[in-house]
Amino acid sequence: MQHTRKSGDQDEIKMFPVQIEKIYLDEKAEKDWGTQHLLKSLPDVPVERVEDKKNLIKQFLSITDPIGMGKRNLLITHFYGRRLKPCPGTSRHICCGYYVINAISNCPMDCSYCVLQGYLNNPFLTLYTNWDELLLEIEGFLSLVRTPLSRLGTGELSDSLAMEPLFPVSGFLASYFAERENGILELKTKSANVDPLLPLNHRGRTVVSWSLTPESLIGEEESGTASLNERIDAAKKCQEAGYPLGIHFDPMIDYVAWEKGYEELVDFLFSRIDPKRIIWISMGGFRYPAKLKGIAEKRFPKTRMFLGESFPGRDGKIRYLKAIRVEMYRKMVKWLREASPDLFIYLCMESREVWKEVFGWSPENSQHLNQLFEERVKKFIGR
Amino acid sequence: MVIYHLKIRFRMVEMKIIHKIPFQQIALLDETFSINFMPDLQSLRSSIKAVGLIQPVLLRKKGDQYQIVCGFRRISVLKELEIREVESRVLGESERNELELFSISLHENLTSRGFNSVEKAITLYKLVHHFQIEPSAVIQRYLPLFSLEPNEKILGTYLSLAEMEDEAKRYVLKEEVSRSNIRRLATLSSDDRRSLLSLIVPLKLGENRLREMLTLLDEIKRREQVIIKEVIDRPEIQAILAQKEFTPIQRTERVKRVLMDLRYPKMRHMEEEFEKKRKELNLPSGVSLHHPPYFEGNGLRIEFQFESVDEYRAILSSLSLLADKEEFREMIKV
Repeated sequence: MQHTRKSGDQDEIKMFPVQIEKIYLDEKAEKDWGTQHLLKSLPDVPVERVEDKKNLIKQFLSITDPIGMGKRNLLITHFYGRRLKPCPGTSRHICCGYYVINAISNCPMDCSYCVLQGYLNNPFLTLYTNWDELLLEIEGFLSLVRTPLSRLGTGELSDSLAMEPLFPVSGFLASYFAERENGILELKTKSANVDPLLPLNHRGRTVVSWSLTPESLIGEEESGTASLNERIDAAKKCQEAGYPLGIHFDPMIDYVAWEKGYEELVDFLFSRIDPKRIIWISMGGFRYPAKLKGIAEKRFPKTRMFLGESFPGRDGKIRYLKAIRVEMYRKMVKWLREASPDLFIYLCMESREVWKEVFGWSPENSQHLNQLFEERVKKFIGR
Repeated sequence: MVIYHLKIRFRMVEMKIIHKIPFQQIALLDETFSINFMPDLQSLRSSIKAVGLIQPVLLRKKGDQYQIVCGFRRISVLKELEIREVESRVLGESERNELELFSISLHENLTSRGFNSVEKAITLYKLVHHFQIEPSAVIQRYLPLFSLEPNEKILGTYLSLAEMEDEAKRYVLKEEVSRSNIRRLATLSSDDRRSLLSLIVPLKLGENRLREMLTLLDEIKRREQVIIKEVIDRPEIQAILAQKEFTPIQRTERVKRVLMDLRYPKMRHMEEEFEKKRKELNLPSGVSLHHPPYFEGNGLRIEFQFESVDEYRAILSSLSLLADKEEFREMIKV
């Protein structure tokens, strides 16, 4: 059973892939506008008021599968501390200089390979409703930052749009960024929940991005996400609404039929989406911290994600053998360039050697890649 | 099937008159209340030989026979010593229900000896499957009796051990296999487990090696979509197992190498190619050439050792010639 809601004259919208069983409401967040909106959206879900958030989390961590159960239990609270941080990236690799906005933590989707399974100390699907403070922090950052154009996104600790129909923080941020000259917002998703974004006057300052995987892997490894068809349909709606689109082939997964799977994926993408509306495309081979394997295989005994030829990299993360990654990236670049030679394609968390082997050149460093992004954005949105 | 509720009445086991019951009247094959696996009978045997039976066994009248409640080991030793009857206290057929009798057997054994891991598994299995006690009640009430943490995962581990073949149970006991490795063994089919035992029993693996071996075999099986028997029956593995002069450690290392090659075929191919080219370079003795760890990143590493200035000069001179060799240039590109 999925939650559904009538929204104006829209058809019922798919909300979550899981049944929300309970809302834990931090008293400090009770009067926030976002909280009220959410409680109205889930009128039948029991609400427990919480005084001691730390103790609640501690108790919850002792149950069987707190990660899975956390996705069915919402915690509404305030975030204390910095909510805008540079993307942690990874050491000794080239990173794109992205900034992460922490608006939601955890995700109702349940991808077998999700790094959050081993990363979050708080297993609850957590919504931070102190939006005024978040906007002040973003405002402060954009007024002080030296780079002419910063890219910020909410897709690091959650899926940017999975919760949108219930908790419209992405729409809220898109409207905010429409007024900003030196900031671009990126919303990364595996959902199809774009309807709340479509009527907004975004001024091209919000990039809506999809993480794409061959359909057979979506069924096996990306539980609760939208199908490939639904994702591309949603991207098409955003394209028609004038949003710049981003595409992330990340994680790229090495499996027996990967060549066929990814070539067909590229073909399918460009049969529906105009490559000229794609601002950037990233590729990143599946990589993970060593402890993820045990956690994920316990939760998903049938997962095949960890059967590739992977070894520890220079940053300690486990990655496919370099020769495998390079082969996958090269072929993808070839298929993508055949569809459109001008696409802006970059590698996520890769070394200069790999860049050179794939493209024949490499950014000098992370700062250089960031400059290339700035040029791309200026050219794309005509700023 | 009788479903028992866990409200066992606390009743003293009344002292009964001691009877001498001949073995031919005892249902020796009825193991309803037995909690034994590979019992160590040596000390009991010595004791009975020295002073005879000190404690009578507990039997229950069942039809025209007697069912053993407590004393399976004592009866086993007495039979072995060709004694024909045993001093027994006897309960009436309806005096206690079966769960109460099982509980008496369990507590008597808990106080008189420890349980090995398979015996714990058998007990828990009987409670859940024979006596139909709710798993949650077994977790709360019985796991602490065995000094086990009361949680579902631990109960699951022991129940899966109870379902394994005796051969696997014996291995678990003998090698003191950890709970995490028991869980790995439990994921295998019965046939796969039998094949696995034919491989691991002669290797005498420690915990970490067993974990490595189980992980490799499981991943090869899932990658190649084969059964474990097919992997173990491969000629290269069978050849290693057949080599009588290898020590268990040597065998283990060689088997692990084969499994690593099967699990990581591209890496093996790259290593073989690297090794081939390295040999073609004819490096002087004392010089070694290494690729980056896991071929991640570029760059080769050369190490050499020397004992005199002349030797040092000779090595440098031969190394300077490497730049002209095609194989060396190719290796740098890898």
